[in-house]
Amino acid sequence: MNVVPLGPINPIFKEPIRIKLIVEGETVLGAEIEMGYVHRGIEKIMEGKHYLKGIYLAERVCGICSYIHTWTFAECIEHISNIEVPDKARYLRVLTTELERIHSHLIAISVYGLSIEHETFGIWCLNTREHVMDLLETITGNRINMGFNVVGGVRQDINKEMIDKIYKKLEELRNDMKNILEIYNTGPLINLRGRGVGVIGYKEIMKTRAVGPVARASALPESDWRLRHPTYKELKFKPVWAKEGDNSARTLVRIKEILASIDLIEKILELYQESTGAVRNRVNIKGGSGEWKNEAHRGEVTYKISLTDGGIIKRIIIRSPSVMNLEAYKYMLKTCPTVSDAVTTYISIDPCISCTERTIVLVDKKTGKTKPYSFK
Amino acid sequence: MIKEFFRKRSINVCIVNTGGCNGCDIELVSLLASRYDIEQYGIYVHNNPREADVLLVSGPVTLPWKNRLKELYEKTPEPKIVVAVGACALSCGIFKEGNVCGPVDKIIPVDATIPGCPPRPSEIIQAILKVAPIALSKREEHLKKIASEN
Repeated sequence: MNVVPLGPINPIFKEPIRIKLIVEGETVLGAEIEMGYVHRGIEKIMEGKHYLKGIYLAERVCGICSYIHTWTFAECIEHISNIEVPDKARYLRVLTTELERIHSHLIAISVYGLSIEHETFGIWCLNTREHVMDLLETITGNRINMGFNVVGGVRQDINKEMIDKIYKKLEELRNDMKNILEIYNTGPLINLRGRGVGVIGYKEIMKTRAVGPVARASALPESDWRLRHPTYKELKFKPVWAKEGDNSARTLVRIKEILASIDLIEKILELYQESTGAVRNRVNIKGGSGEWKNEAHRGEVTYKISLTDGGIIKRIIIRSPSVMNLEAYKYMLKTCPTVSDAVTTYISIDPCISCTERTIVLVDKKTGKTKPYSFK
Repeated sequence: MIKEFFRKRSINVCIVNTGGCNGCDIELVSLLASRYDIEQYGIYVHNNPREADVLLVSGPVTLPWKNRLKELYEKTPEPKIVVAVGACALSCGIFKEGNVCGPVDKIIPVDATIPGCPPRPSEIIQAILKVAPIALSKREEHLKKIASEN
């Protein structure tokens, strides 16, 4: 048995993580993951700070899914202190989240394309993504860390010109995505490369608690937390899913989710144009503690916050989806014939290391014992 | 001669995320898209420190990175330039109280800085292109030195 170390700086990884693949010849037998390079202690920094500073820090948990973190943080505090959010703000939040989901999924597909050495496919997805970034910039004023959400609403309204621009760009985006879907389905070098590689079934998903597109590609559509969100219920949202559970199914689910997100944005724009009023309410923070879950781009994200009456954060716990997906990676390795397949499988679960680097503690429910988590 | 001539026009870049929030890295990746097309200037993103000329460091230096970053800087071949990207790399930003040991210039010498949270892709290209002539002149001196020694 030999060990092939990858990372923390590697041509394929964009984020620092160290993977030790245990191989025999070309066959991969197992893996060890060494984390901790991006642990900054955000939860500890937030303790004892005002919630207005907290939302700023929550945005910097992760750069790819920065908006969903502020949304969940704001909704958690609104849930604790019973703050009503105006209709316009609710719709604008969903609009921005879905746009961010498109950009996050596109970058995941493009990195997958680059990792299977099909550079044309990867660069096409990156080009399509730039149009989404333009839309995000017109709506919020920033490309990555938007600072658009506040507790009680959003910062600013959009106008008629912006709505026309969004409709026009969405039509172009839909054509581009249909083109990409056709290429993905018919191009033999792209789709066949991921068939039967990195397969994970229903049983292992339930064992590892994998979430997001990884679970949805293994016939688990009810893992989508958008089904339980009040605003998405108005839109009659239906999740996208597949049943194969391999690399190509996971990427296919992402491409189809982008098309579903475009439909959702068009629906939400109709609802937005019917609604009137302000985009932000005056808030009155009451103390207490609560929990809120949302569907981030990689799975469910959970915020547990306890607050004082003035709005000082006593304790905050953030649970992000990539931890469970990395645990599922252990089972996927059994159907990886070569080392390069192991790397593409790692990319296909779209791990976000900045989200993952929390202090993770496992609690045994029977005995109540706790121990720190390690991936082996 | 031919090798010398062409190596002037190829700058290899290595992205090092020392604990940032990914925002700067995403902007660096979007440089590959045809809108910005970083390769038309002869800049290649290889992510391999052993063949890099420019190290793009983003993020505050977290405790596990302290020794690793020094090792990485030593591994990079000699005419090298370090660019600190983003507010965290310049001053630790909002993570000052966290699990970090300071900005990048405390650990390794920094030649250029790009402020912003995150900086726009056009600003990053501009900065690399401003720094590149220095890297090239350094390399020429280095090559002459080697030639005179032999």
